[in-house]
Amino acid sequence: MASVKIRNVEKSFGALKVIHGVNIDVEDHEFVVLVGPSGCGKSTLLRMIAGLETISGGEIVIGDKVVNNVPPRDRDIAMVFQNYALYPHMSIFDNMGFSLKLRKRPKPEIEAKVMEAADILNLQPYLDRSPAQLSGGQRQRVAMGRALVRDAQVFLFDEPLSNLDAKLRVVMRTEIKALHQRLKTTSVYVTHDQIEAMTMADRIVVMNAGRVEQIGAPLELYDSPANLFVAGFLGSPSMNFIKGRFRREGDQAHLLCDDGTALPVPAASTAWNDKTVVLGVRPEHLNLAADGQGIAATVDVVEPTGANIEVFVELAGERVCAVFSERHPFRPGEKIALGWDIDKVHLFDAATGRRI
Amino acid sequence: MQPKLKKSLIYWAMLSPLVVVILFPFAVMFVTAVRPRDELFVYPPRWGFSEFRWGNFAEMWVKTNFGEALFNSLYVSVLSTALALVLSIPAAYALSRYRFPGKGAYRTFLLMTQMMSPIVLVLGLFRLMVALGMVNNLNSLVLTYAAFNMAFTIWMLQSYFSTIPRDLEEAAWIDGASHFTSLVRIFLPLAVPAMAVTAIFSFINGWNEFVLALTMIRSSDDFTLPVQIYSQVAGRYQVEWHHVMAGTVLATVPVAIVFSWLQKYLIRGMALGAVK
Repeated sequence: MASVKIRNVEKSFGALKVIHGVNIDVEDHEFVVLVGPSGCGKSTLLRMIAGLETISGGEIVIGDKVVNNVPPRDRDIAMVFQNYALYPHMSIFDNMGFSLKLRKRPKPEIEAKVMEAADILNLQPYLDRSPAQLSGGQRQRVAMGRALVRDAQVFLFDEPLSNLDAKLRVVMRTEIKALHQRLKTTSVYVTHDQIEAMTMADRIVVMNAGRVEQIGAPLELYDSPANLFVAGFLGSPSMNFIKGRFRREGDQAHLLCDDGTALPVPAASTAWNDKTVVLGVRPEHLNLAADGQGIAATVDVVEPTGANIEVFVELAGERVCAVFSERHPFRPGEKIALGWDIDKVHLFDAATGRRI
Repeated sequence: MQPKLKKSLIYWAMLSPLVVVILFPFAVMFVTAVRPRDELFVYPPRWGFSEFRWGNFAEMWVKTNFGEALFNSLYVSVLSTALALVLSIPAAYALSRYRFPGKGAYRTFLLMTQMMSPIVLVLGLFRLMVALGMVNNLNSLVLTYAAFNMAFTIWMLQSYFSTIPRDLEEAAWIDGASHFTSLVRIFLPLAVPAMAVTAIFSFINGWNEFVLALTMIRSSDDFTLPVQIYSQVAGRYQVEWHHVMAGTVLATVPVAIVFSWLQKYLIRGMALGAVK
């Protein structure tokens, strides 16, 4: 196992710069998830760690070796591809043993290693089959197995679950996490699915437009997002944002919305007075206020998910989502009053998007 | 009548003119080849004949020196196909996988060479072969056929190579393979269907080529089949039509064999299951 250090890494395709000086330290044994919307550069970054893309600037260190100019085969990494990339003309056994065969390991050793990996992944019955004869989930497991037999220093995952159906994705997610807890291999995992990131990661790196927005433990990012992007990206349904002018008088602070509503917000410095800020409140932090209190809202759409109900309401001129675990019998058009715990809401600078 | 049966009968009826046009020359070839010599020019012409003369084939084989011409044709077709493939595979791979300056121009150039008829180039090629001292040498045909076929084979291979997912090679590199190993162990086995199709086309081109063979080869010992069969007709007082036709029937056999042997590779099922 080894650590991975990414220092000021840049990537350009011709004149187009897609990664702008990224710094990430992946500790030994750590499971780090790179997450971000499509085109944010997360897969490119992973491919740069793997050696499949050249590095335009900065350096990548695996263990204590700078690998900028080391070809993929000498980096001692294993990678699981989004589309599995199994060799179609080889049996599952040969697919999994291919790397060891290339390293000219003795046959009994190859057999033992493949069997061990097949055992972990429940693949023994399929070893003689070809990839075309397996289901998507099984192929995904073979791709994992191919990485496992290697005892590589670092595992790289490039959206490995995105081709699976929703149910299987949840199962495999847990399997990968359990596997990591058992083997403790340093892992870098790329996904655009924030739930995958939240559930699997030791630390999450949120990326946007070729830059790192924030790095931290999942709940740390969820509870105190550094900026509007991270706040909006993590969490489903995502955080509600309401824009308005900040006003603090004494210990009390308010957000004055365009429609004249005054919303209670945390008491930030008076320096923010009269500046435009954005209030962020997570759907689950909205609660039903007692009669005569709270902020007036009109129910728009009600979506029961089984475990919860998601209610979209019109509040201070914005569409806001609230999640309740109680089964309130709301009807569209119904007037309700909502409130929130002031410690649980966030304020962001509207100009820079940064957290206040 | 069942609708399905009716439908297929209608389709076959619509296809039949085409089938007749294609099969007619073969039918004439065959009935002439197995006919006794004195029934060749009966008037009015008829399909029927008094007896099957399989002996025509044996007679023809000896009289027309068929065996040697067959060998020459095989030599030229197989070697030119092999040469074209060996040179086209790296070129097609580079075109499908790498970005390099002049790639577009090179592709256009390949296409343009296909617009020129070989007959336009015959004189130039002949002079080239004279300069190389290769006139009357079968290897001159191997070279020219390979060169003529390469534009097509590169084009064809390149378009298939582009359908083979790059991820497979990348996975092999990460597994510890060099570029060469991944090419040989992963890429080429998956490209077999394309190579088979290209080989068939290249082989048939070489097998059927006439103009260049007639120009480059002077001595009858080195004639390829088309030229040998032609020499049984052209400039003769008496044409043994039953021998000519027996020769043409036999000449189509190797192509049929090559085709049926390689056609299983035409099925593109190989790449299924590689990626989702």
